[in-house]
Amino acid sequence: MDDRQFILSSSPHIHSGESTPRIMYSVGVALVPAMFMGVYLFGFRALWVMLLSVVAGMATEAGAQRMMGRKVTVSDGSAMVTGILLALNLPPPVPWWLVVVGSAIAIVIGKQIYGGLGYNPFNPALVARVILLISFPVQMTTWAKPSAALSRTVDVVTTATPLGAMKTHLLVKGTLEGFTMGELWNPFIGNIGGCIGETSVIALLIGAGFLLYRGYISWHIPLTFIGTVFIFSGIFWLINPNQHMNPVFHILTGGLMLGAFYMATDMVTSPVTYRGMMVFGAGCGAITVIIRLFGGYPEGVSYSILLMNAATPLIDRYMRPKTFGWRAVSPR
Amino acid sequence: MKDSLRLIVVLTSLCIVSAIALAKVYDLTKGPIAHQKRLEVLRAIKTVLPPYDNEPDRDMVTLPIGKDKKGEEVQGVFYRGRKSDRLIGLAFKVTSPEGYGGDIEVMVGVLPNGTVYGVEVLSHLETPGLGAKIREAKFKDRFKNRNLSSTKWAVKKDAGDIDGITGATISSRAVTKAIKEGLEFYRDHKARIVGSGQ
Amino acid sequence: MTIVREFTKGFWRENPIFRLVLGMCPTLAVTTAAINGIAMGLATTFVLICSNVVISLLRNLIPPRVRIPSFIVVIASFVTIVDLVMAGFFFQLHKTLGLFIPLIVVNCIILGRAEAFASKHPLVDSVADGFGMGFGFTLSLLVLGSIREVLGNGTLFNMPAFGPGYFPFLVMVLPPGAFITLGFLLALMNRLGGHRPS
Repeated sequence: MDDRQFILSSSPHIHSGESTPRIMYSVGVALVPAMFMGVYLFGFRALWVMLLSVVAGMATEAGAQRMMGRKVTVSDGSAMVTGILLALNLPPPVPWWLVVVGSAIAIVIGKQIYGGLGYNPFNPALVARVILLISFPVQMTTWAKPSAALSRTVDVVTTATPLGAMKTHLLVKGTLEGFTMGELWNPFIGNIGGCIGETSVIALLIGAGFLLYRGYISWHIPLTFIGTVFIFSGIFWLINPNQHMNPVFHILTGGLMLGAFYMATDMVTSPVTYRGMMVFGAGCGAITVIIRLFGGYPEGVSYSILLMNAATPLIDRYMRPKTFGWRAVSPR
Repeated sequence: MKDSLRLIVVLTSLCIVSAIALAKVYDLTKGPIAHQKRLEVLRAIKTVLPPYDNEPDRDMVTLPIGKDKKGEEVQGVFYRGRKSDRLIGLAFKVTSPEGYGGDIEVMVGVLPNGTVYGVEVLSHLETPGLGAKIREAKFKDRFKNRNLSSTKWAVKKDAGDIDGITGATISSRAVTKAIKEGLEFYRDHKARIVGSGQ
Repeated sequence: MTIVREFTKGFWRENPIFRLVLGMCPTLAVTTAAINGIAMGLATTFVLICSNVVISLLRNLIPPRVRIPSFIVVIASFVTIVDLVMAGFFFQLHKTLGLFIPLIVVNCIILGRAEAFASKHPLVDSVADGFGMGFGFTLSLLVLGSIREVLGNGTLFNMPAFGPGYFPFLVMVLPPGAFITLGFLLALMNRLGGHRPS
């Protein structure tokens, strides 16, 4: 008798060849154009912020996993991706300690506390960004003017983000008359104030194209997210163009592209079915527009994604696909 | 029957005892609470007026200052500070409904000519460490020695003359606007607030 | 011996916050500063001891069917007394804690001890229980309040805890900071107490 055993398991039986590290490193590659544009626009300071964020994130992950007695999985690249995403979501002139604190928050409070990768209900990088934003509002809203040349200058010329400038203009003048968005080309290549990685629409689209081509993200969330922002802000624009900017302005500025393609699509924190993803994206878009137009903050992408993250289990519950050959059952 | 009677008797007597005890405590603390409230008002008046020697909370005038959201009239109290019987300043409370967390109440002290002598934040619900900085002397002093004609009453972010608190524009804006409106009311109703023959 | 046991159990073994996880409303809401934690803790302790005494004395008199209304009458009376006395003699503290003083009535710790302990045990044991639980509660609020004040405001009992270069970690004095701090402390207590998830 040989002692071979028959292993019985349910389908699927063929491994797709995908693995966490493979997906994570692909996301990292997809973010390279945005990182490059961040450094090109905001100088070596941006590179320093990214390096610091990644190193601090990976060190925290290793430390936390060791302390909690879990397997140390720093090399799977998830801490690296979280670090990059956080850095891309920070204003260029942030002090170094803020980057380290943020990275540690993302890993510990955003992820490891819940049990590690796959168990976190919220996108870790966004948890960190929001905690930093409410804790250090001054440092988190001091933006640098992009300078096209690779400059090492320490002097930061501060500027406002287009969304922030719009809100101030509206508050002071009471109307948007006299406020222009300038040339479309600027937000397209990223020549506007904002977070390190959110300003350059073209760089983010190139990376997103790569992820879509490789099938790591589907079009459902980004399209419904951006589409809802476009339609929703468009309706308000048509009603009163003196109080609301046009929809093109809304989809090209702020963190919408970065959020819609790279953070709302996070596999762990978004719904699993296509129908659910579309509900998720539409919810994100609606909340973003509501915050941008009527909220106290100029930008609402981070909050909208976190709020919809919280709703993801509910969406999954109601969007459960019906089993083949059975009638649909109510979720209960 | 006997059982339910006992329920009634026990609960009723418990309530009676408790009511008597509460009445007694209320009676004992009524004086101190009123005293504390008066001290609170006087403390605020003292910080916003030049040294006076009268009792401003006994020398005051009440005027309707506007309407609230429900359309009911709001009464404003104006305290007069005097030194050797000469009027040296007036203190009044302004309320801003536009705070980040809720109403902000500010005591404003002006010299008879309408120049701000001092301001004091009485109550607010602003974010600790951020909007709550409106309580700090550094912010309150920014209103000193200003009047309606010399100053553009708006925060710098809105192209005015007042330095707002970094990161707390909404709170700074609310306080600035409330003080401005208070000063305007004083300017428009000076005769009645100051009183006749003073 | 049992008195000592009844007294000390509130500190660790049956700590109302970290073991029983009761009274979360004041725990999360008022612990923005160490002094608020102590004040809230002591006010609750006073009510707890008084209600334990009265309920223990009346335990054979109160019919079981009306025990909850009776307990609430007793507790509410003592809370009102604390409210009035604090307003009369600790005005500033009363202003800070504000709404949360009347809310002591619905603190589950007090009703919980009345129901689970004082109504079944003699006077001396109940007093010891009230003291122990009260001080355990106060101590827990102090720890929470200190951590949140030091990190979130850079001060401890309003004294600067760091140099001027410290940027306060604001989220800690805001509501999310209460949950985060409580979560970490619960984890720490479970770790030290040798609790393992089942």
